[in-house]
Amino acid sequence: MTTVRILEIVIPGLLLGGLYALIAMGLSLQYGVARILNFSHGEFIMLGALTTWTLFTALGVNPFLALAMCGPAAFVIGFFIHRTLYKRLLISSPSPAVFESSSMLASFGLMFVIQNIALLAWGPEIRGYSYLSIPVNLGGALFGANRLVTLGVAIVIGMTFYLFISLTRTGKAIRAAAQDPAAAGLMGVNINSVLALCFGLGAGLASVAGMLISMCYPVHAVMGREYTIIAIIVVVLGGLGSIPGSFIGGFLLGLIGSIVTQIEPGLALVAYYAIFVLLLLIKPTGLMGK
Amino acid sequence: MLEIRDLCTCYGKVQALWDVSLQVNEGEIVALVGSNGAGKTTLLNTISGLLRPVSGQITFLGKMIRGLPPHAIVELGISQVPEGGRVFPEMTVRENLEMGAYPYRVWRDKEATLKQVYQLFPLLKEREKQLARTLSGGERQMLAIGRCLMSRPRLCMFDEPSYGLAPLVVAEIFRIIRHLRDQGITVLLVEQNVRRALEIADRAYVLENGRICLEGACTELLENDHVRRAYLGL
Repeated sequence: MTTVRILEIVIPGLLLGGLYALIAMGLSLQYGVARILNFSHGEFIMLGALTTWTLFTALGVNPFLALAMCGPAAFVIGFFIHRTLYKRLLISSPSPAVFESSSMLASFGLMFVIQNIALLAWGPEIRGYSYLSIPVNLGGALFGANRLVTLGVAIVIGMTFYLFISLTRTGKAIRAAAQDPAAAGLMGVNINSVLALCFGLGAGLASVAGMLISMCYPVHAVMGREYTIIAIIVVVLGGLGSIPGSFIGGFLLGLIGSIVTQIEPGLALVAYYAIFVLLLLIKPTGLMGK
Repeated sequence: MLEIRDLCTCYGKVQALWDVSLQVNEGEIVALVGSNGAGKTTLLNTISGLLRPVSGQITFLGKMIRGLPPHAIVELGISQVPEGGRVFPEMTVRENLEMGAYPYRVWRDKEATLKQVYQLFPLLKEREKQLARTLSGGERQMLAIGRCLMSRPRLCMFDEPSYGLAPLVVAEIFRIIRHLRDQGITVLLVEQNVRRALEIADRAYVLENGRICLEGACTELLENDHVRRAYLGL
């Protein structure tokens, strides 16, 4: 195998991995900290992708400017959804287990609502646009500049996010709340705010990933579900509640997907499911789980 | 300093505290003793705001605090060392201590407070970069106490600090509690080890089945027939 051939597998794998990592880190916050297995996660990806597409094709807005708008907007929406819907479920749930199941069902409902609004707004057509698609020569292999830029942005956002979680006062509060919510409350952490913050950050990361996806792949109103499932697989692969685990797990799954696609393009999702099942059987705590 | 009147708390439909009244004066060590399931932890968690009382009053430094969320109560200067320490297992010793200084009131001065805490617990300084889950039971309890001190509390509430620890470690923990009182920190101490608790405290309350059944100076309680029979095995 030549180096060009290897690059042609590894770079797309890393690109896919970077997107998976962002999506999974978002879900990791929502599931690992806020205990919501959010089935509407992919819908925020779809909203980010289609909004970017609309802004670019209709108004000529630069996709990166769209990112600077979509990310914060999705954060605010996510924060508000937690404050209204999930906080109420949390208060009315007699135990954490009841909350986990009721919040999951609520997120299912939310998925259908958002998906159908998107179908009304954008229709079922597959959309795409071309931005920065000039070819770049990398060690003899050709890649679209948009893909390389996307990979770079995904890594930068992922790392920034990791530093935020590890070093800042708020990041520490998030980690403490994930490990022991009651003890975090005794430290002075406002638990309800931290949970809403996590849900909002998850939605923001999803929407940013959606914007990046729209630069490289075709997008449509029902694209979300596949990404939700991939996010769940990566979160389990990386270890529940572990942000670095989700980051590394995302890249790992992306590389595996890219290798499998080289062999048989239709089998990538099948490979993901196979990994998921094997993982649950052999190491359900994931790569970096406790 | 802390005054509780006619407090009732329920767990779901089961009432766990019945008309509990209790007072802690500034500079005192007050012990709260009783057997398993008497409601001691419930009382601490109600003061901390983790549980909402059904009725009754809680005032701290003249301010009504009943029904306030836990983070608001820490902000006022009441800090709890929960049962078993409840340190954050996947954070380092230092990060755990920093979490203790989370309230805005103390966050800016956390480096200075950290120095004081390390002076009191040199062992924590040595283990600074270790994850809390790698510590022994005694070290975890020390970390939990250090973390509580990081919030510069006026009132420190200890929930069974000696539970499950070796006698030498227990002696060390009681030495620290006495030291805190000398530093001007008021202590509310929940203990199953009744003898030790009565020896260190100024006054004590005996909780049975969710009700306060006895209260008084520790010297008197140590002579009380009921206490001697039920808790001291004499």
